[in-house]
Parts: sequence; structure tokens; C-alpha cells
Amino acid sequence: MQITTEEITGGINKVALDGRLDIAGAAAVDLKMNIIAGQSKKLLIDLENVSFLGSMGLRSIVLPARAVLGRGGKVVLFAPNEMVESVIKTSGIDSLLPVHHDLAAAIAALQ
Amino acid sequence: MTTADTPQPAPRLILESRINEIALVWPWVESLAAAYAIPPDTSFAIDLCLEEAISNIIRHGYRGQPGHRVTVDFSPEPASGTAKRLIFTVEDQAPPFDPLEDLAVPAMAAAGSIDRLNPGGHGIRLLRKFAADLDYRRLAGGNRLTIRFNLRA
Repeated sequence: MQITTEEITGGINKVALDGRLDIAGAAAVDLKMNIIAGQSKKLLIDLENVSFLGSMGLRSIVLPARAVLGRGGKVVLFAPNEMVESVIKTSGIDSLLPVHHDLAAAIAALQ
Repeated sequence: MTTADTPQPAPRLILESRINEIALVWPWVESLAAAYAIPPDTSFAIDLCLEEAISNIIRHGYRGQPGHRVTVDFSPEPASGTAKRLIFTVEDQAPPFDPLEDLAVPAMAAAGSIDRLNPGGHGIRLLRKFAADLDYRRLAGGNRLTIRFNLRA
């Protein structure tokens, strides 16, 4: 599991996850995700290259996202593939962490 | 259908009760997918359900103790000819533990507030959504969870 971060337009922190967000993948990114969340007011979690998402992976998204939301920030989940999106919707986390497939819409949602 | 040249993947996967053993699941599912022409969405669902079930057994059934065994058996249905369903049985020797009892948060309405945005408790909900059929049975000395998937014709 790879994790990269980039600041993009509008003071948004974009975190890109690459690989399987299974138990091992979640453990590999947890620390960095929480550090980034601690520094973010606007967080875009790019899931385009995530090939698998299980419940431990959901946890790795929800915990940092809660930290951002708790400080009055915003989070979007960007471009999950169909199966990963199905996991997200089944869990219901998208009711507070909206999914966007269009980058412009994702950026707008974070303003 | 496999040809005579295609090595048959082992229909059984045995894992020790350590979380990092779950890494063996996906390569095994991939080998079954190649042998039985399982489409990617179904492979994803199989991988997800097995990983959720097995991690529940390790964490809850075996209370995180290594040195125990989880056995996953696969069979196609029907047993020969073109498979229409894929049957996975996950067995352990843990105390009685029905993963289908609603240990998870109840069927979730929208998490209207941050406090209700749960980091955990999603495993059972995922099993119910991604499997075609789930069946729990207590065995003498263990538990068996049977998970069925439909194979698109």
C-alpha cells in the first residue's frame, strides 16, 4: 500500500492511496493518514488506485476523517472504483464523507 | 472449465490464527478465479467476505491467540460441468461464535453526526451485502460459516 500527499488548489490536502486497503494495507497507512488529518482542514482522499477495501480499511479512512470533521473541516472520498464504492455505500460512511468522481466537484465540495 | 494443462488450485486454504496470515487469501482467490473464470467483481466479493469472516474468527473466536487453525474449503456447484455457484466453508475450533448474530451496529441509517460515524462494526454488514447466501452452523468443537456466491453465466 502506497500513500502520497500533495497540496492542491484551495488549500486542499490530497492524499492518494495506491494498492489494497486490506488489513496489512490499513496498518501501513494508518500513522501517516492520522498525521495528515491532523494538518488538514480540507482533505481529499483519492481512492482511484485502491483495488480493495475491507472493514479495517474503512477504519483507516473514518478515524482520520473524523478528526478533520471534528475540527470543523471537510473530507471527500474521490474516485473509488465500483466495488470499492459499494463497500463505502454499504458501510454508510458516505453520508458524512461524500463520494465524488469528478475532481472539480470534489474541490467545490471542500470549499 | 479448466483444461488438462491448467494446474488445479488447492480447494482448501489453511491459515494459522494470526492476522497477517490473511494475506494468503487473495492469492488463493485469484488462483480460483483463473481456474473457474470468476469475474473480477465476484472475486472481490469472495476476497472481502473471506477476509472479514477470518479476521472475526481470529479476533473474536480465538480471542487473538495464535496457534489455532482456520480452514477454508471451496467447492463449485454443481461439482462438475459449468459452475453456477461457488461455495466456501470457513471452519474453526473456537468456542461458539455466530458471526451472523448482530454484533455489528444495526442497519445504518445515514450517520447524521460525527459521533455516529463508526470506524468499526462494518464487517457483518459487508458479509451480508456481498455474499449471495450465508449460513452458520455450530459443529462439535467448532464453528462453520458457509458463504455462497453466484457465478454469472
